[in-house]
Amino acid sequence: MSMVRAARMEGASLRHGIKELIVRELNLEGRDPSSIEDEAPLFGEGLGLDSLDALQLAMSIEEQFGVRIPEGDDARPIFRSVASLAEYVSQHPGKGG
Amino acid sequence: MHDQRLYVTGVGLVTAVGMTREATWGALVRGERGIRDIDLFETAGQRACSGGMVRGLSLQEALRGKATRSTDAAWSRSSIMALIAAREAMAQARVDPRAQRVGLVVGGTTGGMFETEGRLAELHDDPDSREALLEMLSHPLTSTGDCLSDVIGPFHRTRSLSTACSSGANALVIAATWLLAGALDVVVAGGCDGLCRLTLSGFNALAAIDPEPCRPFDRSRRGLNLGEGAGFLVLERSGDARRRGVEPVAELAGWSVGSEAHHITNPQPSGATAARVIGSALARARLTPAQVDYVNAHGTGTPLNDPMESAALALALGEEIRRIPVSSSKGQIGHTLGAAGAIEAGISALAIARQALVPTVGLVDPDPACPLVHVREHGRPARIRAVVSNSFGFGGMDAAIVLTEPELGPPPEQASRRIVVTGAAALTPRGLVDTEGARSLLDEAPPPKGVLIDIDLASHLDLARARRLDRPARIGAVVVGRALEAANGESPQKTRMGVVLGSAFGSVDASAAFMHRLFEKGPRFASPADFPNLVPSSPVGHVSIYLDIEGPSLATADLSVSGEGACAQAIELVAAGEVDVVVAGALEEASSIVERLLAVLFAREPDGEKLARGEGAGAVVFEAEDVARSRGARIVAEVAELTSWRDDARAGDPLDRLRSVAPPRDPSRALVVVPRRDPGLAALLERSAWTAVARRTCNTGAEHEALGAIAVAAAASELAGGHVKDVLVVGLGKGRGYALRLLAP
Repeated sequence: MSMVRAARMEGASLRHGIKELIVRELNLEGRDPSSIEDEAPLFGEGLGLDSLDALQLAMSIEEQFGVRIPEGDDARPIFRSVASLAEYVSQHPGKGG
Repeated sequence: MHDQRLYVTGVGLVTAVGMTREATWGALVRGERGIRDIDLFETAGQRACSGGMVRGLSLQEALRGKATRSTDAAWSRSSIMALIAAREAMAQARVDPRAQRVGLVVGGTTGGMFETEGRLAELHDDPDSREALLEMLSHPLTSTGDCLSDVIGPFHRTRSLSTACSSGANALVIAATWLLAGALDVVVAGGCDGLCRLTLSGFNALAAIDPEPCRPFDRSRRGLNLGEGAGFLVLERSGDARRRGVEPVAELAGWSVGSEAHHITNPQPSGATAARVIGSALARARLTPAQVDYVNAHGTGTPLNDPMESAALALALGEEIRRIPVSSSKGQIGHTLGAAGAIEAGISALAIARQALVPTVGLVDPDPACPLVHVREHGRPARIRAVVSNSFGFGGMDAAIVLTEPELGPPPEQASRRIVVTGAAALTPRGLVDTEGARSLLDEAPPPKGVLIDIDLASHLDLARARRLDRPARIGAVVVGRALEAANGESPQKTRMGVVLGSAFGSVDASAAFMHRLFEKGPRFASPADFPNLVPSSPVGHVSIYLDIEGPSLATADLSVSGEGACAQAIELVAAGEVDVVVAGALEEASSIVERLLAVLFAREPDGEKLARGEGAGAVVFEAEDVARSRGARIVAEVAELTSWRDDARAGDPLDRLRSVAPPRDPSRALVVVPRRDPGLAALLERSAWTAVARRTCNTGAEHEALGAIAVAAAASELAGGHVKDVLVVGLGKGRGYALRLLAP
């Protein structure tokens, strides 16, 4: 999928794309992407991801959606859930191609 | 042996602040920093690029006109720095490798990755570049020992190991076990690591590098700076040093190694394992915290390390931590990864010899989470009787070294334990077998169709906990797990259990893929999750975490006898009493780069269908006999003899080493097991006392460098089956060999 197309994905399909990326990039083998809830916390409780996962997710979201994700504390609210990630991606359209 | 103190009689240092021991020490005390923008390679697009570079390295100058059998291309920057440092240490100790039995232990993480990256860049542009392919495997961890042996050897025993950023400290621990066992007169031990694109990009991907010169223990610290360098120490028994009239720099009085079994990159926040390791290093030295006058901290300057280390020091040293000065040299020389533990042990030894502290440069505003007695800006004279030097590596590989004034504490006690085998497993194209089934790998069945491991590894693992394990780590977890299951009886205490995994070249294809991505997309898209899996000790780190093994975990490398080398390492650790149980093994996965290299070497077309080299892994549980008995484990074999050699006329004839193995008690009930058919090995055996004994060859259907571990597993299985009473496993690699004799209990 091209970055342009990815960046234009809206709503449910963007959220599903992020879920697929999470399962693929974090090797959540056997996990069905649709089973990840939009609002479920990604870290600690919920999916139980950690700081190394956050770095991998940030890198691969930047790569796939052409957005720039801030570092450190500024990134925390973005990584709260799939919904917050999708919202950030849709509000920060990629630089294209 | 009555006089078993271990003296440091030589120190050699190459760092970003000096090419010698004296230059480095002087600069450290004056508070000079060697941190600047790295210009060894292109750093455009890197998040941060300050580091401690060593400038002006020249192979010709380092060789000083000495001839070397190694080609110039075989020498990496890491090896050149190792040569300079090891030679400096040996000169101070007046070591004569022709008159003394000298051993060499080299710790590292990247080997010659800087040089390999050059070849990978060529392959990125031209995937069929013959020259690039031929040099792709020129710089494994073992290359440093091989290069050094030519110039400053011969060495009677050589070991290459990695425990990530504690490698240099672990090299000293291994040296100590060798000397206490009495087999060698002198051991030159240390570590070396050169800067490279892979580590800079990887630590940047982990957001672990401070864009400015680093600030260990400072409230505003933002990470580490990488450095490069080498540190080597000469160790010998105090009686030998006295007889030779060599003055000790310090005494190596204590050491300890343990695994956090927590996370592949992040330290355990409580510092509990680090504290345990510091405490047991002091216990080994039979010193109390009241006698410690200085701590040379790991002190990387990362947000996570420094508070963890502060907590660990408080746990281990109690109230005394309010008195003991602590500093980190990494603000001056950077984090030299596999060299760090050895360089910092060298600095600690010098602190004792010079009665002076070195500072934490870069520390301005101490973090309240690191409530330590800091040494700021520059060094100062101080009364120093004993020093603790900490090193912590990826995968939670913690090590602590205790150096003292000579004869501060009581002399160490020598442990000498009988070692037995209690379990074995092998994972090959013929499937997964354990103690009962491994002997089937010595039959003459027709080979399987493929050369790859084709069982579903995932079905043997708890995937929720195994998701970070790459293929080598999964192979390791399955084979080590099965060997431990086979070693029945009550579970050993997990802090007294360790694991050693051998691999000749590490993750070649994964490193290449990481670098290709870097060339293709730039450093911003280096994968943080993939990077920790590229360290040679990554599989063993994952295995220790997955199987909750909290004793020493380390990776060794020795080309095509990596399996035999890992078994030797495990036996030495148990014999020395460092640990009660060690699972030793080796693993290799298929590699497209190795296939292409072999195709070039043998001038044939690579054949995607038919691989020349395959996959496999073996694991064997070695443990102290008394421990095996007390936990009710079935003993399947006793370790009777272990010898190893380097093919170096200056160090004697390999045949003599093989002849030192006693003849079989009853040749009709004895067996020789060899990992592969090898005319050189057959010729050697013909001239030994084992010539008339039946010989079996591993028949796993795949050639690779881990076969030795499978051979040892199969040998243990033969003894378990009661068919034979006496088995000799002999492995021969390029210029090196091992012989291990196992007896029925």
